[in-house]
Amino acid sequence: MVMIPPYVPEAFLTMYLPAIYAGLIVGFIGTMAIAMKREEIHILILTDLVGLAMIFVVSAVGTDLAEALILPGLVVELAETLAISEILITREMRKIEQDPRRNLSKSSSIFPQPFSLNMEIMTTAPNFIALVLIGYGIFLTGFTGGAVAGGGIVLYALSKKARGLPVLILDGIAGVSGIAWCLWIIGFLLFFVAPQYWLLSLFLAACGLLLKVASKVGLIGLLMREDIDKE
Amino acid sequence: MIDVQIFFYFGIFLAIVGSLATAWGPGVKDPIVRTFNTEVASIGVCMVLLCYNHVLALLTLLATTVIITLILFRAIIRLEEMGAEV
Repeated sequence: MVMIPPYVPEAFLTMYLPAIYAGLIVGFIGTMAIAMKREEIHILILTDLVGLAMIFVVSAVGTDLAEALILPGLVVELAETLAISEILITREMRKIEQDPRRNLSKSSSIFPQPFSLNMEIMTTAPNFIALVLIGYGIFLTGFTGGAVAGGGIVLYALSKKARGLPVLILDGIAGVSGIAWCLWIIGFLLFFVAPQYWLLSLFLAACGLLLKVASKVGLIGLLMREDIDKE
Repeated sequence: MIDVQIFFYFGIFLAIVGSLATAWGPGVKDPIVRTFNTEVASIGVCMVLLCYNHVLALLTLLATTVIITLILFRAIIRLEEMGAEV
């Protein structure tokens, strides 16, 4: 016996089985290809396919629950891809450094040519625009607000010429991330322990998510800047 | 009036064909071609999400696809410039 909530639209019920089967087929293709491949970078690309299969299976639920589950899934997949690609690059660097016959070229980036943004607007405007974007993101709160505020941080990071990041700031971002997790967990717990404070817990979770997403997007921007701003 | 189901099944079709192309398609020895083939499957998933009215999920999928493509290109280009086997 399958329990179906009454607010699931009738049209989505007929779409449930095809979506589940499509997800299973896509996941099977992805995992088979991963099993047959040897090179790590190909496996990393094929991991995307398994992520798409995950989205299929979750979206088949068809309610707001699906939407709430897809968002963290995508963000976790993004962080995972970022981390594993960094690990791959570092490992290949170590391998080549230990081999005395090959020498490691120092210049490597996403843009083959030097790509410097020498526009006047990049030096005068970003302070104001980044401030407006971060303020608007804090006003929005939640996932969308985090993305907007993160966009502001990325704009600021890309347009400023200072390179490298002091260790203190990196530690600070990690601390903010921890505080965001705590806010989120407290808000989530409060939903169940004291349901009459639902507004407070909602805002705790929203502000936690804002800090989390904004700091993550800002970190990605700082990472990209190392590539873009080289002379 | 075009039925929503058409888009739904077209999305499923695109996702399966795209994933087949990513796994065993033509020219996938090159990792950049493989990354591009992933986009076909991604568009299929976008159409399915559109049929389910998952707007926020759709927007997030588009944004993360762009960022993941950038990250993968960065990794591929760095590995190729270092002379590693890709």
